[in-house]
Amino acid sequence: MSTAPEPTPAVAVENLSKVFKAGLGKRAFVAVRDLSLTVREGEVYGLIGPNGCGKSTTMKTVLGLLAPTRGRTAIFGRSSTEVASRQAVGFLPENPYFYKHLNGLETLLFYGRLCGLAGAELRDRAREMLSLTGLEDAADRRVAGYSKGMLQRLGLAQALLHRPRLVVLDEPTAGVDPAGSRKIRDLILGFREQGLTVLVTSHLLEQMQEVCDRVGIMAHGRMMREGRVDELIAVENQTELVLRDASPELLAGIRELVERDGRAALVRSGQPRTTLESLFLEATEEKP
Amino acid sequence: MTSYRAFSPARIWTLATATVTQLLRMKILIFLLAFCALVVAAGFAFPVLNPEQQLKLLKDVSFGALQVFSLVIAIVATALLLPRDLEDRTLYTILSKPVPRHEYLLGKLLGVLLLIGAGLLLMDLAFSAVLWLREKLLLAQIIQALEAKTPEAVAQLQEIVGKQGLNWGLHLGVLAVFWKAAVVAALALMISCFASSTLFTVVVTFCVVIIGHGQGLIREYFLQGGTLAEPVKKLLSALLAIVTPDLGVFDVVDNVINGEAVGLGAALAMSGTALLYLTGYAVVSHLLFVEKEL
Repeated sequence: MSTAPEPTPAVAVENLSKVFKAGLGKRAFVAVRDLSLTVREGEVYGLIGPNGCGKSTTMKTVLGLLAPTRGRTAIFGRSSTEVASRQAVGFLPENPYFYKHLNGLETLLFYGRLCGLAGAELRDRAREMLSLTGLEDAADRRVAGYSKGMLQRLGLAQALLHRPRLVVLDEPTAGVDPAGSRKIRDLILGFREQGLTVLVTSHLLEQMQEVCDRVGIMAHGRMMREGRVDELIAVENQTELVLRDASPELLAGIRELVERDGRAALVRSGQPRTTLESLFLEATEEKP
Repeated sequence: MTSYRAFSPARIWTLATATVTQLLRMKILIFLLAFCALVVAAGFAFPVLNPEQQLKLLKDVSFGALQVFSLVIAIVATALLLPRDLEDRTLYTILSKPVPRHEYLLGKLLGVLLLIGAGLLLMDLAFSAVLWLREKLLLAQIIQALEAKTPEAVAQLQEIVGKQGLNWGLHLGVLAVFWKAAVVAALALMISCFASSTLFTVVVTFCVVIIGHGQGLIREYFLQGGTLAEPVKKLLSALLAIVTPDLGVFDVVDNVINGEAVGLGAALAMSGTALLYLTGYAVVSHLLFVEKEL
């Protein structure tokens, strides 16, 4: 019986290594070592890790801003080295900066034209994005006068302008106040509902836990853990029974059965889970 | 989602116009206003000189300002563009869009050339207007002073003054200034593709421009004089020709100021040389930039 072919992943990173050459007499820096990961179409994938672990290098390689030393990266089956692969991508860099001499609307019109949009379609789409990110009132203000949070929202607007299939967000909530941060979280959840693929990095692990379908934890340029959030944060040597309408007698009976077993022990009732934060710390403190 | 085109003049134009806006909002127009004030002042200063000298001085000052404006913009503005985009990380958001790197470079270069071209055009218009006005005024003054009444005498005076007045040669002189600035801008862009700082680009481009003005002389020295062995001489002159542009090709301004005619053939040869340099520098810039780690 023939099996259905695997769908083309939104992002494929295969055995990626990136070495930055140093000056004379200095050692080369290995930013990413033999990294492989796959982001399936329609899922929200979180890439987390401490500063300097290789997250941004991986993202830049996926976006074609850096060339891999070894291995390959692809977007919807197209090598990242092909400029055409970027037609399907919207990218929000960490702490985005834009031309200070342009206002919010002009900035979106500029990026829209680079993506091949024009005329009334572009104007309407730019206005729509300004509205989505709550920047309508600041549309005519020069970007030089924008706050950090506003720049972040403008960055998100330019990333979504050309209706990309994949959205790459590098620390989307950095420098954003809690309300803004929540709004961005809601937007990411909205992307998932619309079937968009999201590749996101963040230090806000609770938020990542909320929005991500799968996460990869990086440290020292390697992938330390990867999988579904639910699976990763489940405690492996414990079993959870979720009962509905259990009577005290039934619970007492279960406890008695456990005690009689002699080997098993009832640790606690409830949800035996760790947090993504604990898992993150544990994974990143391990030696490679 | 729109479809991707491998080469898009629209994308290049978008980048070019954004570059022009960026430079304009850096208050570069102030330089143009200063130029206009200088031309008007030079046009009506030194009334004690004879008419020919007055017109020559006006052309001298104006062409000097034109060259300073175009070369300063070509070197400083171009040197700023790439490092600033890299420092501000605007380069990331631009190149993460479907924009090939060569289109980014072409857009930036075209933007600088548009600005220099438009600036020179405006300055040329202001300069021509003042020169024409001054020529007419001086002619009227001479005719009145010498009481020249016969058509022959007036025509003779017109010919003498007109030699230093407004003619097509002046515009060819401005074209030469433009081509020189265009070559220097392309050179600065190429240097900024591998330079570590804006200052480095400015200093190196400035040095190359100085050498480029005397390239012909230095090449002659290597080929004719000295005790250097033949292969060494050839190698040095070849290196010099490759590394620096021969900017002497564009030095027709002195001829224009002296009232000598610049032929159309010379203008075409100058334009062809400039286009060759521009193409060469653009290709090398692409080769350097395409491999650049961002």
